Amino acid sequence: MARTESQSHDKFAGRWFWRYASPAAFFPLAGKLEKLCWVIAAVLTAVGLYIGFFVAPTDAQQGEVYRVIFIHVPAAWMAMVIYLAMAFWSGTGLVLGTRLSFMMSHALAPTGAMMAVVALVTGSLWGRPTWGTYWVWDARLTSTLILFFLYVGYMALAASFDDKKKGDRASALIALVGAINVPIIYFSVKWWNTLHQGSSVRPGSSSMAATMLTAMMVMTFAFWAYAIAAALHRLRTQVIEREREASWLKEAIK
Amino acid sequence: MSLRSATSAVFRRELQLFARRKSDWANPLMFFLIVCSLFPFAVGSESEKLKLIGIGVIFVGALLAAMLSLPRLFDEDARDGSLELMLTSPEPLAALILARVAALSLALGVALAAVTPVFALFYALPYDVAGMLALNVLMAVPTLLLVGSIAAALLVSARGGAILTAVLVLPLTIPTLIFGASAALKVLYGESPAAELALQAAFMLLALALCPLAAAAALKISTD
Amino acid sequence: MMWDSWGAFWDMGGRGFFVWGSYGALAIAVIAELVMLNRARSNALNASHENHDH
Repeated sequence: MARTESQSHDKFAGRWFWRYASPAAFFPLAGKLEKLCWVIAAVLTAVGLYIGFFVAPTDAQQGEVYRVIFIHVPAAWMAMVIYLAMAFWSGTGLVLGTRLSFMMSHALAPTGAMMAVVALVTGSLWGRPTWGTYWVWDARLTSTLILFFLYVGYMALAASFDDKKKGDRASALIALVGAINVPIIYFSVKWWNTLHQGSSVRPGSSSMAATMLTAMMVMTFAFWAYAIAAALHRLRTQVIEREREASWLKEAIK
Repeated sequence: MSLRSATSAVFRRELQLFARRKSDWANPLMFFLIVCSLFPFAVGSESEKLKLIGIGVIFVGALLAAMLSLPRLFDEDARDGSLELMLTSPEPLAALILARVAALSLALGVALAAVTPVFALFYALPYDVAGMLALNVLMAVPTLLLVGSIAAALLVSARGGAILTAVLVLPLTIPTLIFGASAALKVLYGESPAAELALQAAFMLLALALCPLAAAAALKISTD
Repeated sequence: MMWDSWGAFWDMGGRGFFVWGSYGALAIAVIAELVMLNRARSNALNASHENHDH
């Protein structure tokens, strides 16, 4: 069922964008894009941290500890966004049968899981002085925890198949099932949270100064660039592993 | 053979098998019983304490027991070759899977729901709470088995299948767990559980509509 | 400059442990990921060169 690369290449040969669905054409382009993203990530991190620590004022309610927000919120957002991107590439792979789409999903998953862990750890460290305890079954922390479980399930499933093609499609299906469930889980947890705890105080719920928001957004874009760079790096590694026999690769990695 | 007679044949065969093989229904029930009786040893036997944790323990126990039955959906058929027959059958695969999951849900759901009120008494829960808990177990088991059928289909005869099934399926059952336990909790507090019951029914219908199709796709992937 | 001294900067109004703990956790996660990325790449390259040689 899965289309081989040469077939899909012939079939869509007329259109330039299909050419990049082939690993041979994508490999060098991904390399350039990766370098660009590492640079963007480094520059934006430096700018974001400078604004965050030297321009943004002390928060009236929380004091200095709010500065965790500059990494906590971007990490939580990225955990969510990367899962959706993973599901998108999984769906694309299942519909079009393009190997590169599955590889993109695999490349995104570890970074997404890492972002979920960072969001959880920074959330706990922020929670201690704000709530008085490291862990609260707060709606957002809880859904991030569940999101982490979904990442782990996806990666464990992909690794459990000896046949790579089978693993690609099986894990893609689970990514889609998870993506359909993410909103249901989120709203269930939110509802459960209000039922059992009343409204809990959220760190960062007070209105933010413009410079605080700027720092947070700059850091978000930095995380975004970092995630793309890491995913492209992993993607290129997978291409090297899977296309070991291809002659174009031997030229490309000389 | 028409679609209806094919699916009803699968449905009946599944129920007959279930009735014939004692281990299929006795083991999940034993597991459920043992899980539910472990917790008092850990938290103590004061009835006020037990009442607080009882609903959650019983609900989670029922979900785990149902989950342990997931491998029996396809694994044995893969070994004796009847899965091949199912895959090559002219009937839509999703309908056959649905018939099979429906049979298992009915048998296992009724069995687990039937013993739930007894366990509720272990935890000093009032009768009306016990009844509501049983009703919610009856509704949650089909939802879990429907969602679980996707994972079971993907992991047909895969190494480490059982533990991986748990990792894949359990996070997806959290909404069912939240609303099922909360319906019983509402009854305990003397409030109306109507909203929770409606949501439980909605989850079941959503799973009913989507999961057999996904499980059919999953089975095609894993047996490709 | 909004900080009176570097000491005040590291102290973060008495919340230094939580702020720098968070940033430290991020740094550890990122460094770990970069190390793993590089290790996976060099493993893949080694395997592919061995494969190429014979």
